[in-house]
Amino acid sequence: MSDQFGIKVEEIFDTMEERFRPEGAEGVDASYGYDIQGVGKWKLTVKDGQMKIEEANDLGDCVAVTITDADTFVGVNIGQVDAMKAFNSGKFKVDGDLGALGQTAKMFTKFVSGKKEMTVGDFIQDMFATLEERFQPKNVEGLDVTITYDIQGDGGGCWTATIKDGTCVLKEERIEKPTVRLEVGAADWVDVMLGKVDAMTLLSAGKAAIEGDSSLALKLGEIFSKYIAPGEMAEPEQELVRLKKVISVDHRFATGPVMGKFLQGLKNKKIIANKCPKCGRLQLPPREVCAICRVRVPGVVEVGPKGHITINDIAYYSSPDPLTGETRETPYGSINILLDGCKGNETFWHLLRRDQIFEVEESWNEKKGTRVRPVWAENRIGSIKDILYFEIDK
Amino acid sequence: MGKRVAICALEQVKNEPDIWYQRFQGMLLDCLEPILEKTGVTFDMDKGIRNVITCSDDVFDARTISDSGITDVVGAHFRGEEKMAQDSINGLGYAMACILSGHDDVVLYMGHCKESQAESRYMNTNLAYDPFYMRPLGIDFLSANAFQARAYMEKAGVDDDHLAEIVVRSRKNAAKNPYARENEMVSGDQVKNSPYLADPIRELHFYPMTDWAFGMLLCSEERAKEFCDNPVWVTGYGSCMDSYFPGDRDIISNFALKNAASRAYSMAGVKNPQKEIDLFELTDQSAYQLPMWAEGVGIVDEFAGGKWIEEGGPDKSQVNLSGGMLNGNPVMLGGAARVAEAWYQLRGEAGDRQLKKPKKALAHGVTGAMGQHHGVVILEK
Repeated sequence: MSDQFGIKVEEIFDTMEERFRPEGAEGVDASYGYDIQGVGKWKLTVKDGQMKIEEANDLGDCVAVTITDADTFVGVNIGQVDAMKAFNSGKFKVDGDLGALGQTAKMFTKFVSGKKEMTVGDFIQDMFATLEERFQPKNVEGLDVTITYDIQGDGGGCWTATIKDGTCVLKEERIEKPTVRLEVGAADWVDVMLGKVDAMTLLSAGKAAIEGDSSLALKLGEIFSKYIAPGEMAEPEQELVRLKKVISVDHRFATGPVMGKFLQGLKNKKIIANKCPKCGRLQLPPREVCAICRVRVPGVVEVGPKGHITINDIAYYSSPDPLTGETRETPYGSINILLDGCKGNETFWHLLRRDQIFEVEESWNEKKGTRVRPVWAENRIGSIKDILYFEIDK
Repeated sequence: MGKRVAICALEQVKNEPDIWYQRFQGMLLDCLEPILEKTGVTFDMDKGIRNVITCSDDVFDARTISDSGITDVVGAHFRGEEKMAQDSINGLGYAMACILSGHDDVVLYMGHCKESQAESRYMNTNLAYDPFYMRPLGIDFLSANAFQARAYMEKAGVDDDHLAEIVVRSRKNAAKNPYARENEMVSGDQVKNSPYLADPIRELHFYPMTDWAFGMLLCSEERAKEFCDNPVWVTGYGSCMDSYFPGDRDIISNFALKNAASRAYSMAGVKNPQKEIDLFELTDQSAYQLPMWAEGVGIVDEFAGGKWIEEGGPDKSQVNLSGGMLNGNPVMLGGAARVAEAWYQLRGEAGDRQLKKPKKALAHGVTGAMGQHHGVVILEK
């Protein structure tokens, strides 16, 4: 069982029914799969403004399957993990129609953790568990001190942070003569850390004590960044707000006869270029005119489908296509191919089979690059993706 | 009077609701080829076109720097190409400035837009607004225009009957224009019974979705004879930008249009537009704008728009014989479509709608809703 950000994956699925918005699901008739690795698989079925969520092994008939780990899934749902970043880094993958998956965002209200209130003990544990990572070495150059936190009462304990050479090491121990020792009740300390009570108020009320270098105690806010409770968003230091906006306007593009010929060709496993009647150069993909000669280019020729690689560039990030949301697994090989029948700069752009991206040679000077052939999609619709990718022609 | 610039050729495709069978690249090419053929102009770097000015919109084309997708079909490779992303009439003003400054002597000026391409043109024009304050409130060119319509109609005594009359007249005029969008002829009652889109603007009060492209060849006075015998002269251009935030604007004042018009008049030496100008082409995105812009260009007294319609003012002053934007031109191209009508009229090529020997015409374009930015051009025979 996973328990990320204090929330279980199951909680997100279990609350789907109460978070369902039928108005957001109008006209939707589809199933969506969730393959949360190491946890399980779920299937969401939406039809006639109703939904059903169930654990399911077979996600075969889903329009889109989300494949991710528990951490990322929970993080994205509670807004702790940036979905786009997770997506680009490959931590959050979608198998199928990403556009369709986007619809689910309209179907549910945001997940709000229904978990029980954290106890004082939970907070104290979490505060010290995160202390080292909240250490700000830049703010305390040259500092060589020990700070003992003597937290009293239920949920308390004693911890000592040793700060030296720009590092902070925390141990659950009491030491002799630390540079400063703080003594405070557990519940009060939680209130201070959550910003509910001012430390000075506690001190003047005699509810807390400082022993040793009290000026150091006043600097704790600089030495450590602010504690943020699980599931909470960091408070901005200034009145700056980040507004997330997504622009989404569906489009329907005409192909016209020239682009139409090329796309129709792909449907029939043919790669078509058009040839300028004046200068004879090929354009791939074909365009209405030769930009250089300023004449219409009606004539087409079939080229390839095999050719040799001129350039293979390996990309380590993958932005989704803003029109379709489609993306690629990283790293991927973005290739320039000189298809048979083409010369000079008449190259074609496509992708290389992923397991071969480090195996191919490029064309430099007189040397020709690796020969490749297209791998065609089973269902071809007249799209550049009718060619899945090129692979080495062995 | 200052120097003038010649329009030596003008070509367009027909305005249609959905040119699904062609890319906008193909539409532009259909305009460019006859220009080259009829004028004999070339892309020679000494004597031909060295600069191309295009008009298009990124959002409607769904690509940033929308001109990048059309440079080949407008012949722009290996020379200057600059894009106007406001109403196209400003592209004409820009071309004029290029020529009068001496920077260029021959300029190709083209534009395109396919409103049919996007799921919703209202979503697209919503994007013209501030993303944080205005967009979430649903403000787009239609809903914003409705604010102006309410305020203006109240002040100028324009009512639902007047608007119906404007729509009926627009469609009748457009039926005589072979390049106009083919719309159903409607009766006043049909207009008055058409559903509200944003009160007081009804469906038939707002221009219908349209695809279109055009091209024009402009050159200096000295070179006009090389390309045609019968040029139309651009003698004046003026434009004016009002505030972006609608709340900052006095939306019934016609402030920007009055300024744009007076600049164009002064450049063209026009003292009394009503007397001196034979036809007016106004970019009326919505019916209420016809009387409002007529006031703005100074042929109707301020806030007398209602009375003007009742007295048959649009016919008397020969306003929007083309059918106007109201019959259908795409967003941003209203101004060029108005120039096109002036071009045919001044050359005596306007067919069934031809006026008797017009000498001077005014063409107007507006960018944004509620008349944020206006451009006015004076054309002469």
